[in-house]
Amino acid sequence: MTWWVAACLLFGSLIVLFAAAVPAAFAFLGINIVGAWIWLGKDAGLIQLVRNAVASISSFSLTPIPFFVLMGEVLFHTGVAMKAIDAIDRLIWRVPGRLSVVAVVAGTVFSAISGSTIATTALLGSLLLPQMLARGYHPNMAMGPIMAIGGVDMLIPPSALTVLLGSLAGISISELLIAGIVPGALLSAMFVGWIVLRAVMNPALAPTFEHESLPPWQRWKPLLVYVVPLVMIFVIVVAAMAAGWATPTEAAAIGAVATVLVAGIYRALTWSNLMRALMGTAGISGIILFIIVGATTFAQILTFSGATNGLVDAIQQAKLAPWVVLGAMLVILLVLGFFVDQVSMMLICLPFFMPLVAAYGFDPIWFGVLFLFCMQLGLLTPPFGMLLFTMKSVAPKEIQMHQVWHAVTPYVIMGVLGLLLVLLFPPLATWLPGVLFR
Amino acid sequence: MSGLYGKLLEGLAALAAVLLGVTALAITLDVIARNVGLAMVPWILEVSEYVLPIATFLVAPWLLYRNEHVRLDVLLPGRPWLNHVSNAAGLAVSAILVVYGVRTILNSAQQGAIVFKSVVFPEWWLYTPVPLCFGLLAIEFVRRFAHR
Repeated sequence: MTWWVAACLLFGSLIVLFAAAVPAAFAFLGINIVGAWIWLGKDAGLIQLVRNAVASISSFSLTPIPFFVLMGEVLFHTGVAMKAIDAIDRLIWRVPGRLSVVAVVAGTVFSAISGSTIATTALLGSLLLPQMLARGYHPNMAMGPIMAIGGVDMLIPPSALTVLLGSLAGISISELLIAGIVPGALLSAMFVGWIVLRAVMNPALAPTFEHESLPPWQRWKPLLVYVVPLVMIFVIVVAAMAAGWATPTEAAAIGAVATVLVAGIYRALTWSNLMRALMGTAGISGIILFIIVGATTFAQILTFSGATNGLVDAIQQAKLAPWVVLGAMLVILLVLGFFVDQVSMMLICLPFFMPLVAAYGFDPIWFGVLFLFCMQLGLLTPPFGMLLFTMKSVAPKEIQMHQVWHAVTPYVIMGVLGLLLVLLFPPLATWLPGVLFR
Repeated sequence: MSGLYGKLLEGLAALAAVLLGVTALAITLDVIARNVGLAMVPWILEVSEYVLPIATFLVAPWLLYRNEHVRLDVLLPGRPWLNHVSNAAGLAVSAILVVYGVRTILNSAQQGAIVFKSVVFPEWWLYTPVPLCFGLLAIEFVRRFAHR
């Protein structure tokens, strides 16, 4: 069987299974069973598949995933996150589109302590959206920023999906996590700029309202009490990794335990909400990791069937300019983002992309950040944008799906602009890890 | 029956949740102990690697029970038969992995393979969650057929 027949067979079946609403994890395992039978030696191949299934997720490099998710879940279920958002709400005054700006700033802060994009969107959506709509905000002004900042969560550490990308692609996880900080902050700044511009141009989109007047101490105290300790956890987690005191797994474990302790100090922790946070953690990590169960075998099948080498060789022999190859990879990711989830995107693309990254000498950290950009855009693009559904599920009943799509459009365009900026100015991604690690 | 079954799946998920929490705590204590010069526990990091697959396999049936596994469902509305196709594919995959999970365990036990790191144990222990997980997943897929 030639490599391209094998590739068409594998990806064709995968598309059919995805379209038939087979859960992604089972679609990959199904392809693996057939592929292992054909290319990995029938019976022995299937036994290898089981061994790989356990080995794929017995990796120390994946252990930060549940811990990063736990940080966000604890803050969410204990109500500490709500208090932090309220603290930020008290500080941002007299800004056009105030509540939308609060959503972006609070989302950025929450991203820095939560490893889960969905948790961020669900939290801000259920908390701020009703307030905004009640104040007469246009649904676009209200929903757009919340979804957009949920996507940025993937870039700002700690991020479960960044850990997964680093682990599967063989890119330094610590460096990749830190490389996301500058582009993430840049996107947040662009969002704030856009909100203010829109609110100034058309004040009816975000009517101003009198904020209750508070003495300065009342305004600043919640920040010191509820936000500063959380930001300290973020600093400790990032600094521990950057300074080499702790591996990403250890830093993540410390971050998770510190978050539980902080919730305890606020007297917000109970057995029942801790258990809810742990169940939420097991669920979210389980969804991600169960897809990874098929990762190793899928990559092996692509190699043994000749698909990986065939495609990579064909691209290299075509003598394409490096930017054409890079551009094509990013376009493929953006298109895939419309249809498949982020973990599946990594499983499908990385076996082909990483050899090309090596062959063309692209900086893997830079490429990793570009990959993350494409994945976060995939969270926001219909029909399979996870955050669009999250928003729909927390929004009032009268909000239609097309309004959700409409609201997110300008932020998707800004995301693409951000992607182009990092593409044209690689130091946006590589400067910070370069300073901290080399 | 279905109440008991739901409780079983939830219980396994709760076990996974507790395992993850205890692991975070154990790793943190290990880092603290190392930094204040106390004796390190060399096997903690190694054991934490095994927790991840155990937790994943324990929680997977509960996730399917709650329909939380990621899937592309845009084609589903108005095509109920697609759900049957999806369940049949899931059932086939799960059944094959139960059989091969058991065969992998027997194969490893026959060879007498041992995991030789800081903790020493028979290799087949690693594979025991596989048939358990896919067995429960297979039951869940059958249950979905019955409920349609």
